This record gives sequence, structure tokens and C-alpha cells, in this order.
Amino acid sequence: MASPLPAFVSRRRPDWDALQALLTRQRSGRLRLEELRRLDTLYRRAASDLAQAQTFYPGTDAHRFLNQLCGQAYGAIYQPPRERWASTRDFFRRDFPATLRREARFVGVSAGLLVLGLVLGALVVLLEPRGAELLVPEGVRRYVAQGRMWTDDLLSVAPPNAVASGIATNNLTVTLFAFASGILLGVGPVFTLVNNGVLIGAVGALCFREGMAVGFLDFIAAHGPVELSIIVISGGAGLMVGQALIDPGELPRTQALQMRGREAVKLVVGCAPFLAGIGVVEGFISPGDFFPTWAKVGLGLSLGALFWLYLLRAGRTDVGAARVDVPDDSASSRLR
Amino acid sequence: MTPSAPAPHVDVATPERVALSLPVAGIGYRCLAWAVDASLLFFFWVALYFVVTLLVSDVLGAFQALSGLVQTLLAVGLFATQWLYWTLAEVFFHGQTPGKRALRIRVVREDGSPVGFFESAVRNLCRAVDFLPVMYATGCITMLLDARHRRLGDLLAGTVLVREEAIDLDKYTQGPGPAGPAREPASVQRPLGAEDVELVLAFLARAPGLEKDVRQRLGARLVDRVGAALTEEERARVLESPEATEAFLRHRAQAAH
Repeated sequence: MASPLPAFVSRRRPDWDALQALLTRQRSGRLRLEELRRLDTLYRRAASDLAQAQTFYPGTDAHRFLNQLCGQAYGAIYQPPRERWASTRDFFRRDFPATLRREARFVGVSAGLLVLGLVLGALVVLLEPRGAELLVPEGVRRYVAQGRMWTDDLLSVAPPNAVASGIATNNLTVTLFAFASGILLGVGPVFTLVNNGVLIGAVGALCFREGMAVGFLDFIAAHGPVELSIIVISGGAGLMVGQALIDPGELPRTQALQMRGREAVKLVVGCAPFLAGIGVVEGFISPGDFFPTWAKVGLGLSLGALFWLYLLRAGRTDVGAARVDVPDDSASSRLR
Repeated sequence: MTPSAPAPHVDVATPERVALSLPVAGIGYRCLAWAVDASLLFFFWVALYFVVTLLVSDVLGAFQALSGLVQTLLAVGLFATQWLYWTLAEVFFHGQTPGKRALRIRVVREDGSPVGFFESAVRNLCRAVDFLPVMYATGCITMLLDARHRRLGDLLAGTVLVREEAIDLDKYTQGPGPAGPAREPASVQRPLGAEDVELVLAFLARAPGLEKDVRQRLGARLVDRVGAALTEEERARVLESPEATEAFLRHRAQAAH
């Protein structure tokens, strides 16, 4: 028979206090080796105390205290491996491009949706001039009506560069939202992709009608290819999430969601540094006329080509290519 | 005390073959923690605003030419507030942002193990959707519907927020009060069960703050519950004053010492 609760607590309490003190120190800094060993020993003792409390004193404060103490120690001991530089390098060298190639179908569908939007937007504005009033934001239309690019003011001193800075932050929001809104049954990415496609198509067509096609090309050429690719990739990631919700296969929905979510977020996280880099291009090279149009077009095309060359080739020939740690029978193969 | 309805919790089976069950943080804790974090970020932005204003309104106008750079910095800063702050804090401070630390809650995976970079990245990227349309309306509705108070980002990342309680173990080990008059009758009775001990100790902890007659009445009911073998005159002696009653109860709760 178990000893009475107060006796149990006062007998075992020194160990618990020691464990708690060690955990506080572990959180704030480093422990020496012997202290780590002691932490391990104390954790095991506390775990057996918890088992005893579960049996003889369920529902008491002592039980809840031990529960919490063991939970904290468990968290401290079973830490996930720290992400080090080597694993970051590995991620960009192999994992990210490989994931993209594995999920190429989703990225393809996503690209299709964006192109669909582009074509629709351009057709509407080209066939029906008044369509522009519906599809193109008013600020942009005012600029185009004056025969000026709205981006000309990006580097000037005058305040109305709000439009351009809106475009810059817009890219970030669009990228994040295209992924995250996948959780709304995939409706979010579809909407984001088509909507942005329509916007770009309509603005482009309007510029073309007004004889400003060169100006539009001048602004969009340097960063457009990479930036649209990134939006397409994160839209594909969003579609992966949506697909896991609609068709989880044999798994429960939440579990399918988590599995696909981990894969999908690799695509988004992998895009992040490229998004930052292309943001710099968009901020400094695209607006204004410091660079001639042909240089911008050349830069944009070569950046885009390099980006896709990296995505399609990187890590393909490495030894690591054999190491496929994702079950292949997950959702992607069922899309066929 | 034992709660009447089981509160939501995360069950963990450790490799040591012990079942942990961690209490889940409810919507109130989460909102408060968010409010703390949001105000921190707000003050960060205010400070940054003044620094940038000082720099940009420079006399020479040298920074005016760099307004493109400032805008890029703003975009990066926005990204940082939206995502970097939360993710880095959760990854490097054991699942706690400063706000979560203040409220003593913590992000863990659904199996109770600490969050890694990818989980944290997912749940914080989804902030954008949970925020829709305003002020976390989507997130709050999901939290109210989900049994474990998870928002969409948590569902996608497979994470959950657990709560740490401040539990005082001192009440078990407080020394017995002034030598109790009921020493002999208590010694012949068998020790109490864990539930009765909890009940008595909870009463003893609260007794000094109770109204006089409530204190007397509750004490008498507890004496009747835990001191069944008392004779009539012993009982009368124990109930003479609140001090005597509580000394008897304390002695009963710690009978095994």
C-alpha cells in the first residue's frame, strides 16, 4: 500500500526541486556534462514518481505538479535537432529543389491558374476598353491616362510613390497568402493566383492599348520572371494544403494536413531568400531609367533562367538523390 | 481539486512508459499572450519610426535619395513583425515568445515534444489567414470550435499550446501547528486517502481568509468526514475553537509522519 500523500511529497520533494532548478538553468544557459547526467537521472526518478502518483494519488495537486515537471523535463531532453548551417546548406542544395520536383504537378496547376488569369484579364481589356475601369486600380489608371508610368515616381522625392511601395509589399503579402490560404480548402490559392493574373494581364493590356507597352515591359522585365515564379511556387504549396484537406486519402484529415503541410512549407521557406533578393532588384533596378530596357530584359531573363535551372537541376546527381525520406505513396502520387 | 469535467489536455506517452497529460491553453491565455507580443512589436515600430524619421529628415537630404532602400527595409521589417519574430522566438526559446512566457504557455507538437523550425514556420505563416478578416476572427472561431483550442495554423502544423500552472507543494510539507489536543484519537485512526488529504489541505490553506462562521462550519464538516472514530466528547473538544479544529485536521492530514 502506498504511503500517505504528505509523506510521499516530503520524501521525494528534494529530488523534484533539484530537477526544477536544473531545468531553469538548462533554459537560461549551458549545463556541464555531469549536470546533464544528473538531469537525466532526476527525470527518470520523477517519471517513476509520476507513475506512482497516477496510481495512488490521481487528480491531486501533487499529481498535476509531477505531470508538469515531467512534461518540462521531457521537452528539455527530447529536443529536436538544432538547425545548423550544414542542414541549411543541405536544404537549399538538395531538399528544396527535390521537393519542388516531386510536387511539380501542383506548381504546374498553379502556373496554369496564373496564366489563365493573365489571359482573361488581357482579353477583357483588349476587347472591351471599358473593362479596364473594372479591373485596373484607379491610381494606375490615372497615371496611364496622363501617359506616365506609375512607377516613375518610385525613386523620386514626391510622396505619391505610395502606389509603388504598395506593389512592393503586395508581393510579399501575395506570396504568403497564396500559401497560407490553402487551408481554406484550396480556394484561397486559386483565387489569389487568378486574381493576380487578371490584375497583371489587365494592367499590361491597358498599357499596350495606350501605347505604353515598352514602359510596362521596362518596369516588369527585370524582376517579373523570378517573382511570378515564386508566387506560382507558393501558390502550388497552398494547393498542396488544400488537396490534403479535400482528399486526405487513408489518413485522418488533420494528419494528412500536417504531413502535406510540412512538405508545402519547404517550398515557401525555400523561396524566401530569392524573394528577398528579387525585392532588391525591384526596388533599385526596375523603376526609373538608370538602366536601359534591354539590360533589364536581359537581366530578368537570365535571372529567371538561372532560378529555374537551379530548381530543376540542383541535387539531382548527388548521392543524396537516393535518400528520399518522404513516403512516395502520399497525396502527390494520387493526383495522377 | 479534481475537476468535474475533464479539461482539454494533450496526452503524451514518453519513452519511459509514463503517460503525461498536459493542460491545453484556452483562448483567454492565447489572446493575452498575443496582446503582450503585439504591444512589444508596436513599441518596436514606434522606436524604429523615430529613428528612421531622425535619419530621413536629415539636414543634408542625403537619405532622401535612398527612399527606395527605406521602402525595402520597411517591407523586410513588415515581414519580420509578421513572421520572423514569432518563429525565431518559438524556435530558440523553447516554444515561447515573450508574451507566451509572460502567460506561462508554450507551443509543443501534438505528441508533447518541442517544436522545430518547420512547425513553427507553418503555424506562423498561417497567421495571415487566421487574422482574416479582422483581428483574428478566423483564428478565434477555429479555437472555439476545436476541442484543443487550436487555430488553423496549429491544425496545419500539428502543434498545440500547453499551459504551465503554478502549483504550491508547500502545503503538503508545512509543519504541524501548535501541539494538537487531538493527538491520541488521531493516532488510532488509519491514514486518510489522497482525496481527503487534498480536501483538508485546501481548506487549511484558505481558512485564514474565510468568514468566522463559515470557517467554523466547514471545519466541523471536515472533522466529521475525516475523524469518524472520534467519541462525542473528543469531538466537542476538537470543535472548541477554529485553531483546535485546524490543528486536528492538519495532524490528521499528516498522520503518517
